[in-house]
Amino acid sequence: CGFALRGAVVFPFQSIYVGLPESSALGGELKRNLRANGKTEVTSQANNAEVILDVLGETRDKVILSLNSQGRVREFNLIYNLKFRLRDKAGREVLQPTTISLKRNLSFKENEVLAKEAEEALLYRDMQSELVQQIMRRLAVVRMEAPAKLD
Amino acid sequence: CLLAAFAPVQAQTQSANPISLVKNSDSLVLKVDPQLTLKPGTTVIQAEQVSGQPDRVVHLDHQVEVTRGDLNFTADKATYLQIEDQLDASGNVQLRRNGDCYSGDLMRFILETGVGYVHNPSYFLAKNNGQGRAEKIEFESEEKAKITNGTYSTCDGLSPDWYLKADTMSLDTGIDTGVAGKSVLYFKGVPIMGTPSWLKFSFPLSGARHSGILPPTVGHSNKGGVEFGVPYYFNIAPNRDLTLHPKFIARRGLQLGMEGRYLGETYAGESAVEIIRDKLTETTRYFGTSIHRQAVMPNLVLSWNMNKASDNDYPADFSNSTNKTAQRLLVRDIGFDYYGSFWNASLRSTSFQVLQDITAPITAPYERLPQLTVHAGQSDVWGMDWSIDALATQFWHPTLTRGIRTVVNPQLSYPYIQPGFFVVPKVSLHAASYQIEDPLTSKTNRLQRTVPSVSLDSGLIFERRASLLGTKMTQTLEPRLFYVNTPYRDQRDFPLFDTALADFNFAQIFSENRFTGHDRIGDANQVTTALVSRFIEDNGAERFKFALGQRFYFNTQKVSLDGKTNPSRSDLLLAGSGQVSDTLNVEAALQVSQSDRQTERSSYGIRWQPAPKKILNLQYQFQREVLKQLELSGQWPVAHRWYVVGKSNYSLQNNKMVEGLAGFEYRADCWALRFVAHRFATTNLSNNSGFSIQLELNGLARIGFGSNPVETLKKNISGYQATN
Repeated sequence: CGFALRGAVVFPFQSIYVGLPESSALGGELKRNLRANGKTEVTSQANNAEVILDVLGETRDKVILSLNSQGRVREFNLIYNLKFRLRDKAGREVLQPTTISLKRNLSFKENEVLAKEAEEALLYRDMQSELVQQIMRRLAVVRMEAPAKLD
Repeated sequence: CLLAAFAPVQAQTQSANPISLVKNSDSLVLKVDPQLTLKPGTTVIQAEQVSGQPDRVVHLDHQVEVTRGDLNFTADKATYLQIEDQLDASGNVQLRRNGDCYSGDLMRFILETGVGYVHNPSYFLAKNNGQGRAEKIEFESEEKAKITNGTYSTCDGLSPDWYLKADTMSLDTGIDTGVAGKSVLYFKGVPIMGTPSWLKFSFPLSGARHSGILPPTVGHSNKGGVEFGVPYYFNIAPNRDLTLHPKFIARRGLQLGMEGRYLGETYAGESAVEIIRDKLTETTRYFGTSIHRQAVMPNLVLSWNMNKASDNDYPADFSNSTNKTAQRLLVRDIGFDYYGSFWNASLRSTSFQVLQDITAPITAPYERLPQLTVHAGQSDVWGMDWSIDALATQFWHPTLTRGIRTVVNPQLSYPYIQPGFFVVPKVSLHAASYQIEDPLTSKTNRLQRTVPSVSLDSGLIFERRASLLGTKMTQTLEPRLFYVNTPYRDQRDFPLFDTALADFNFAQIFSENRFTGHDRIGDANQVTTALVSRFIEDNGAERFKFALGQRFYFNTQKVSLDGKTNPSRSDLLLAGSGQVSDTLNVEAALQVSQSDRQTERSSYGIRWQPAPKKILNLQYQFQREVLKQLELSGQWPVAHRWYVVGKSNYSLQNNKMVEGLAGFEYRADCWALRFVAHRFATTNLSNNSGFSIQLELNGLARIGFGSNPVETLKKNISGYQATN
């Protein structure tokens, strides 16, 4: 039915700088996936890279999704928002500010609060992996303009 | 000038002004060509009739215009004293400077210093559309003006919907602040608020953050009766602020509230406190919360989240939002986190205040006093990923088994990842040691457990070009298989400190352990199968996602929390979500039991947002024997300037409205009126209900944060946008 195994992912840039701190788990997973094709260099300095990924906002929200008849929380919605853009060396936006928003449901009971804490962490890790895949899809199709000529 | 009445049309033509007198440092020179390029600081004087002594005094008549830099005057008649650099003008006088405009009958103005006065003026300030009239305005400098017996409004026109009338007003365009003396606020011609002269009422002259009174809120609640609050906002610095919100509650007394936020290079946080001497209970009642995060050293972060209420009923008695009443655990958490190169460690203490409800008691959770966690891990070391988690925790409970638990959990995997497929074999070991104590008998016991586990995760990614809803897209097909083998260990004697059965979802079915926490390691000989299909637009955006997944068990699970044994297959998971069009989003998730074909859990949602400030959300949530509810919420314009807002959270299980909110907003050009009524359950037997009214006068006070109607709407209606 027309399906074929996905071919190699070639990014339209040779090197990239990811604007997330070293301690960021999202940054770690993203860098690892960017390096996976063996052709893209992830630089540790912004000025060595052909493109720069700026993270304009990374927020995690936990909002009440449902209440029981006593008015107590029985489900939370975990919302993970990431806003980012891609610039080239000359500062031109290669990818306009883009927001990816993911959410997961988490059931809740007061006496299981410690267990739910671990589950929340699992769901955020799951969203993080999905976020990385969605960023990769966006980066793979950006259109690079001809490099700015230096006079 | 936007005030038409004070902005006579400039009918000046060059032929009507054949003569210009140009003042160049110390002499007046006759110029024929008004198009001449002028030096900055040059004064250009034009009029139909000019007379006087060029070096001392110039009398100007008919269509007078005087310009210097960004200053511009027009008048019927004027006298310019050259030595004093003073202009005396009369008849349709108008002064324009940087978009601001002052008009009046009579004006004196020193051009160099900006000092002067104008009689019977009207004025317009460009930045915030501020305008008004007065008996007299005295210009104290280029930026400061003092208004006597004047008005201030941000509404256009000669009869503004609202205005502030004050005996004195000081406007400082340098710091964008106006300060009024003894003043009365009129709305639709009716005086609604007055301030004495000793209370300097200040208001912003621009949209920037500014100290001052926030829109007052009037309301009523079933628990407190009539309520009236006037918050005051202090803009201490760009990175810190403080809001005071005194609130008078008829049946209970005066509640004092304070909320502060701060942000520094290495720290950030916010704290709030409320206190009241309650006339009903005759006790002092309070609620406090503090969240703080600070880098004490480059790699060491101190953080806390502390909450405390004076009694079990405080949130239910004083909160007008379910955000506080629905959570009956108040966390007290403090600790340090250290971030190393490939490892991090944290030392935290966590306890809870349980807000008990006698009609439905809550089993208190365990407290961790404290917990030390160390995580180390590296990826891609000769192609391998490794990690070790080590935890040591002292668990405390008033009535249940207490103890110290140490856990070590090393993991090693060898991911082989290609664009079209991946294979990840993994081995892990979970070792735990318990030193437990029965609080009744003080008998201690030691328990130990070591459980190895192996797993193999694998998946394929196929792609094709497909067309969906008329758009060409890439469709993926991603089958995935995940096998786990974990041997059985008898764990019936082990306490349950932080462990429960995890929700069954797509994140869970690819985890080795069906329990969350470290007290139970489920025996497993099982395979998870899943199939995901995505539709991806050509710009890389994911438009649709469909997924189904199920686990198959090759053995009968012996580790269980409730003694139930599993069938050979798990529940079936089905999920789909996506953007049908630019305005319509849908999502659905379903968990179907394979033993009786019944739905265990489901969730359906639709969001329709045809335009900004026009949104409808419909959500259905179901958990077998726990929850069955339908929620409708939205914001919708019903007529010009009128918006309806509402939310209904209805329990189909109990045929009861768990939470309901309805209101409207009216948005005029320079003010907005909001009315919000709400009702929500706080216990089995009791409800909170009430309403609040807020009048926002644009530019007089900005909308604050905390417990005001806008905040309530934002939190309750997903996608709500403030109308002003």
